[in-house]
Amino acid sequence: MIDKSILLDNKKFTVGIFDNSDKLLHAVKTLKEKGVKIFDCYTPFPVHHLDQALGYHRTNLTVGAFLCGMLGCLSGFTLAFYMNVVDWPMIIGGKPQDISVFTSFIPVMFELTILFTAFGMVIMFFARTRLIHGIKEDLLSRRQTDDHMVLAIDNNEEQAISNEDIVALLTKEGAIEVNASKEAFNTSLTSEEDLAKILNPASTKSKKK
Amino acid sequence: MGHHSIQEVSHEKFEFQGKAKLIPIVLIVLGAVLAIIGSLQVKNNWDNVGHHAQTKDGVTHHESAPNHHIAHADDHHNLGHVEDTLKESHDETRAHETTNHNDQHTKADAHATVDHADEHHGPTWMTRVWANLLMNSYYFWLFAVAAIFFIAVNYVANAGWAVMLKRIMEAQSSYLLIGSILLIGIIIGAKDTLYHWVQYFHSPAAGNPDAAGYDRILESKSWLLNNTSLFFFIPFVTIVWILIRMKLRKNSLAEDQEKGLTMFKNSTRWSAGFIFFFAFSFSALSWLIIMSIDAHWYSTMFSVYNFAVSFVTGLSVMMVILQYLKITGKMTLVSDEVVHDLGKFMFAFCVFWAYIFLSQWLLIWYTNLPEETTYFADRLEGGYRTLFFVNLFMCFVAPFLVLMMRNAKRSPIVLLTAASVILIGHWIDMYLLIMPGTVGEHAGIGLLEIGTTISFFGIFAFTVLRSLSKANLYPINHPYVLESANHDVGP
Repeated sequence: MIDKSILLDNKKFTVGIFDNSDKLLHAVKTLKEKGVKIFDCYTPFPVHHLDQALGYHRTNLTVGAFLCGMLGCLSGFTLAFYMNVVDWPMIIGGKPQDISVFTSFIPVMFELTILFTAFGMVIMFFARTRLIHGIKEDLLSRRQTDDHMVLAIDNNEEQAISNEDIVALLTKEGAIEVNASKEAFNTSLTSEEDLAKILNPASTKSKKK
Repeated sequence: MGHHSIQEVSHEKFEFQGKAKLIPIVLIVLGAVLAIIGSLQVKNNWDNVGHHAQTKDGVTHHESAPNHHIAHADDHHNLGHVEDTLKESHDETRAHETTNHNDQHTKADAHATVDHADEHHGPTWMTRVWANLLMNSYYFWLFAVAAIFFIAVNYVANAGWAVMLKRIMEAQSSYLLIGSILLIGIIIGAKDTLYHWVQYFHSPAAGNPDAAGYDRILESKSWLLNNTSLFFFIPFVTIVWILIRMKLRKNSLAEDQEKGLTMFKNSTRWSAGFIFFFAFSFSALSWLIIMSIDAHWYSTMFSVYNFAVSFVTGLSVMMVILQYLKITGKMTLVSDEVVHDLGKFMFAFCVFWAYIFLSQWLLIWYTNLPEETTYFADRLEGGYRTLFFVNLFMCFVAPFLVLMMRNAKRSPIVLLTAASVILIGHWIDMYLLIMPGTVGEHAGIGLLEIGTTISFFGIFAFTVLRSLSKANLYPINHPYVLESANHDVGP
């Protein structure tokens, strides 16, 4: 995935805003065919097959989850073994205090496996996607968190076709709004002047269908 | 979805004739020949082994009555605390016996002694043959049971993803008829040999509290363990299942002729009824057929355990049939997504089986009551010890670690391997369910067992493939067929 702190790099984007996920997906495919490098897409909900169309590889989160599970399983075993056998051996149900009571460790191991996997996955996911509480998202359109989808193309990148052609293509693909040079903004850092711009987006629109 | 999608499901047929038809028949015959050779081997070796055991043990008459745990506690000491407790319980019961306590276990053991003295001569080679037949017929019968349950669950849950596999399930459940006939035939033929409660209820002590061999535990179970159950209840249940299965199949075939929701709604109703009936009847059947082999022992998890075995093996068989059809170039419309989901189901029910296994084992292990631990003590000693752990490895550990990976659930080779491991693992599971209580220490996996399995496999394959060839491979007019064809679980 791409670093979402796009504001920090002072980048300018060619932006197409869609209100239909099928149109967005089709636009991505068309642009990819023409050899355009797409920076990223921002959607308020998961769009099926968009990741394949953008050429992203599958997440490694599952591997992380497995490792977390293993860690949890081992922790559970260590915990139960250390407490029941090494540190404070207790006779429970007339059973010996050694590894032969492994059966009684299983519930602990099982629960800790689940706990570590669940927490590990949530923490890894939040860390990787920077969904940390308090952080304000860098936005290209205010409605990208509501009902609009944003297709962003980095203007600094070499493209196979000219910028005008890209804008024309985006319009043709059914973007409700196309902007050839747009900066990301962040509500936590925006000045009064910027805020006015955001609240009154008509001034930044280059074209409306 | 706005992109590539299947708008219509094609008519596709599976052909089952000529050479393909010959292979199962050859397997049936080959298996039968192997089984006969195997049983003759067993017969010839039996007397030698039996004689040897008798001279060695001298007075241990329990040796040949494996239903009673005290026989085993005598000669094995490698079980750790479980066995220790068992030994204690054994000593205790011995003490009770001498002081004439009117304790339940004393009665049970006294019964064993008396019973053995007059008519019960322990397992003969025929016991092994019958036990082996029961094991294999039950094992293959479970596949069919799982298939019909799967159809019903899909209807009731309004599930769409597996509709493309519906004809496979229907074909698999077609074995229910012949499987039930074989199973019931074998149960009735084997009842005197395998079920010691049948022998008990024929003995003069039955129903007579003052008699020497009176067995309070068995008497308390007489409401279920009786001839009426064997001769009427089992056939009644299986006939109801077969009728519902026929109704569902008839609806399914009728649906191919005309579109609409009529058949779907009707099948949903029948499926709901089936599941309700199935929950009770399958439990009772698993107690009657399998748990009553160890008639003194009981476990409330047992029927769930049998269901878990049934479902996970049924799913594995479904996967094998699906992959077989895919290899032969059929069922190309079944996408990787559906295969992936079936793989997930296999994975999930491996874990479910392990969960149920642990639930049963954990409680018995913790409470440590002699009359309960005897079941596992029998299985954790001698020749069964290795198989016990092999079973756990093949049914849980190996499939769990392999099927966890996403790519594994999308690779036909890995899926086939996993399904085979699960199937062989649960064959061993069945072996562990039935053999310790019937054949005891004389059990083994030889030509007899393998031959019988091959033979049953032949019958199963023939029935299923024949049924598969009789209809379209896809239920073309099922309301969810396009949903299944375009099934997508995302990245």
